[in-house]
Amino acid sequence: MQVDLVGITLISAVASASVLLIATLGLAVVFGLMGVINLAHGEFIMLGAYAALLSTRAGLPFWAAIVVAVILTAAFGAVVEVLLIRRLYSRILDTMLATWGVSLVLYQAAVVVFGAVTPGLGFSFPSVNIGAYGISAYLLALIAVAALLTAALYFLLTRTSYGVLARAAVQDPQMSAAIGIDAARINTATFALGCGLAGFAGAVLLPVVPATPGMGFAFVVKAFLGVVIAGPLALSGTVMATGLLGALANITASVWSAVFGDLLFFGATIALLWLFPQGISQRWRLKL
Amino acid sequence: MSTQVSGGEVTDLSLPRRKRDAFLAHRGIWMALLLVGALAAAASYVDSYLAYVATSWVIFGLLGLSLDLIWGRAGVLSLGQTAFFGIGGYLGSVAAINLAPLTGNTLIWSGPVGSLAGACIAGLVGWLIFFGRMAALQATILTYTVTLIIWTSAVSFHATVGVAVIGGDNGLAEIPPFVVGFGNAAAPLSPNGMLACTILIAGGAYLLSASLMRSPFGLLVDCVRLNAEKTELLGYDTRKIQFWLFVLAGGIAGLAGALFGHWANYLTPSVFSVQECLLVPIYVLVGGRGTLAGPFVGALLVGGLSFWLGGGVIGGQTTLVMGLGLMVLVLFVDGGVIGAATSLVAKGNRLRAVGTETEGEHRHSPVTALKSIARQGSDGSLEARAIVRRFGGITPVNGVSLTFQPGRVYCLIGPNGAGKSTFLRCCMGSHSLSEGEIMLAGKRATTWKTFERARAGLGVKMQTPQIFDELSVAQNLWVAAYQAEHDRRAADRKVAAVLTTIGLAARTKLRAGELSHGQQQWLDIGMVLCMSPAVIMLDEPAAGMTAVERGVLASMIRELASSAAVIVVEHDMDFVRSLDAETIVLHQGELFARGSIEELRRNEAVLDVYLGRRRHVRTA
Repeated sequence: MQVDLVGITLISAVASASVLLIATLGLAVVFGLMGVINLAHGEFIMLGAYAALLSTRAGLPFWAAIVVAVILTAAFGAVVEVLLIRRLYSRILDTMLATWGVSLVLYQAAVVVFGAVTPGLGFSFPSVNIGAYGISAYLLALIAVAALLTAALYFLLTRTSYGVLARAAVQDPQMSAAIGIDAARINTATFALGCGLAGFAGAVLLPVVPATPGMGFAFVVKAFLGVVIAGPLALSGTVMATGLLGALANITASVWSAVFGDLLFFGATIALLWLFPQGISQRWRLKL
Repeated sequence: MSTQVSGGEVTDLSLPRRKRDAFLAHRGIWMALLLVGALAAAASYVDSYLAYVATSWVIFGLLGLSLDLIWGRAGVLSLGQTAFFGIGGYLGSVAAINLAPLTGNTLIWSGPVGSLAGACIAGLVGWLIFFGRMAALQATILTYTVTLIIWTSAVSFHATVGVAVIGGDNGLAEIPPFVVGFGNAAAPLSPNGMLACTILIAGGAYLLSASLMRSPFGLLVDCVRLNAEKTELLGYDTRKIQFWLFVLAGGIAGLAGALFGHWANYLTPSVFSVQECLLVPIYVLVGGRGTLAGPFVGALLVGGLSFWLGGGVIGGQTTLVMGLGLMVLVLFVDGGVIGAATSLVAKGNRLRAVGTETEGEHRHSPVTALKSIARQGSDGSLEARAIVRRFGGITPVNGVSLTFQPGRVYCLIGPNGAGKSTFLRCCMGSHSLSEGEIMLAGKRATTWKTFERARAGLGVKMQTPQIFDELSVAQNLWVAAYQAEHDRRAADRKVAAVLTTIGLAARTKLRAGELSHGQQQWLDIGMVLCMSPAVIMLDEPAAGMTAVERGVLASMIRELASSAAVIVVEHDMDFVRSLDAETIVLHQGELFARGSIEELRRNEAVLDVYLGRRRHVRTA
């Protein structure tokens, strides 16, 4: 096998894992810091994508469109938290079903408002050649985006007062309430953060994943599995789980077929659940 | 007082376990049977197009029933029911396509094959979940993943079995319709006949499930949901109970799939789709979780809604209505339609029950009654051989060797953090040992599971009373007695004896969760007695009891010690003295001292440990 083929396979595997990681981090933050599985996460990604798409078509530069998408989805997330999630704390399965209701409503609303098919972004990115093979430069840039995003989240959750309070609130809710932490406000912020991250993902992935009402669904299934496999450490566990599963599925898909890639992804999920019922990061001695 | 354990039949003891269940529980199986018959008869009078569509609602209700068994009763939300449904549909239809020409009748082939296929796949998944001891969320994820795998692979799965052709995305076509007659001349059923036939089959499955849930097995399923650890401590293999229920649910889903094949005449991989799999919990939520009849009501309402709003269940504006409905249901409607309809009735019943039950006198019978429930001819000894238990850097139990024999009460004392509770957990098997051996009745029990130790005669009351909140006092005791006796009548007799001993004879029908803390302690102790244990471990049994009750408890423990080894963990030194016990002091995970309480009181080292004044003594 040629060096360039191996190289491009590995790079595209890492890029594909990065895309999955970007799409998953918001879900991981919400699950890790609130114990809530947000099944509407995919639709928040979709909202972010549409927000960015409409902003660029209105003349905003792409970076500004990303900012608009993040602010919009975070604000909407805060509303959903106050109206819905807050009333269902510590009922994890009920929360799942309620957020699935949110996802249905958002999906159908998008179909009604935008139609089933939407135009693309209208600008393209150059491709980079590795030996005889080409890969989109934007896809390569996404690897850096995933790394930066992870680092920024790590900083936010370990070095800022919000991050420390949020982690305290999830580790010992009663104690944090006793020392005066307003858990409800922290949770609203956390949920908004998670939704903002989803919006960021939808916007930043727009050049590679076009906006459609159903786009979120493609991500949320794998993101959801990655988060549960990750276990208690929201950040390092998720990076490991999505990196491992995403790269594995991508390599299988390019060598074999997309269906086998997916099957391997799901099969590996079952194997990991069997081996680590509490998630792979259960025994790691890391902060996050 | 004899009326409290009236008749002693299981049906008497199995009071409505969930308040929503009260609706059918009182009127009984006959009412349901009548209803199924009436519905089937009514099916011939509806419009034939409506009959055709309504058949699918009944089929989805049956699918919902399979989820309600495992979610409503066992507490495990399975998102794999459509996978079992689809597999049952595919395999049942393949069987019907190939074998129907032999008999004319299609259902006798597809029904059994479909349910068997569903049960087998569910068995595989259930084995992973329950024997892997997965938590609730992980179980849900696993079933979801299984559905995804089957959906993904079905899209590109091609196979030819006899004359049946499974064509990936194109699915399986030319599935024969409902034929119940035999021979070449047997004609397919009309839409109305199809509806009647489906109602009868679904009604049969419902009646089977409902009566199973009223049997001891159903009571145990509820116990596992309410408190899995306690159920295992009583000697039940909780994994098996949940596994077999899951297999049954898979079989019912497979049967529903087979019926669906006949109804639709073709199957595509879309039956496995995520949209379909998330619809099943909606049926259950709408109708009422844990009611068994609820899913049928839910499927009828959801199906009816999309029938009159137009379009499929997913597609059209129905999606919007469904999404909003789901949020409203989860937020505001606890118990679904059936729950809302019966909560008033149930509330009235419970108030009446409380009114009559609390009047009786609270009195303990003489402890000599215990002789009748002692375990016959078993070796009641427990031995810990140099056991060590480590958690990361901490070693709460560090090389403890102790032997407990019948005839003496043993008291374990020691300051907080001495390792008493960890020692207990090591003996009962909820912590594995890092080193050392546990011998129970002379046999090596180190690797035994908790339920195996319980069956070998180990009875444990944990520090906080562990009871089944939603069950009645009598049911709590009955569950404990049934494991030891394996006989309904014998268990009933034992419950009657123990009820008077623990002073709760006037409260048999009260929900255990409504008892006071002290009464819950007695109930938990009563459950241990019902097991007829040869080795008894009681962690702080006297907490929350009055002085009089403590006296009764002390004499009961001394009486028990004549036939069993009794180990009591206690902080109250006066209570320990009243037990006249061999007292063992644990300190920092090690055996520190032992002797009678009087000897220990004169032991300066023991006092130092308890008062934390070692340094003070040293410097003096």
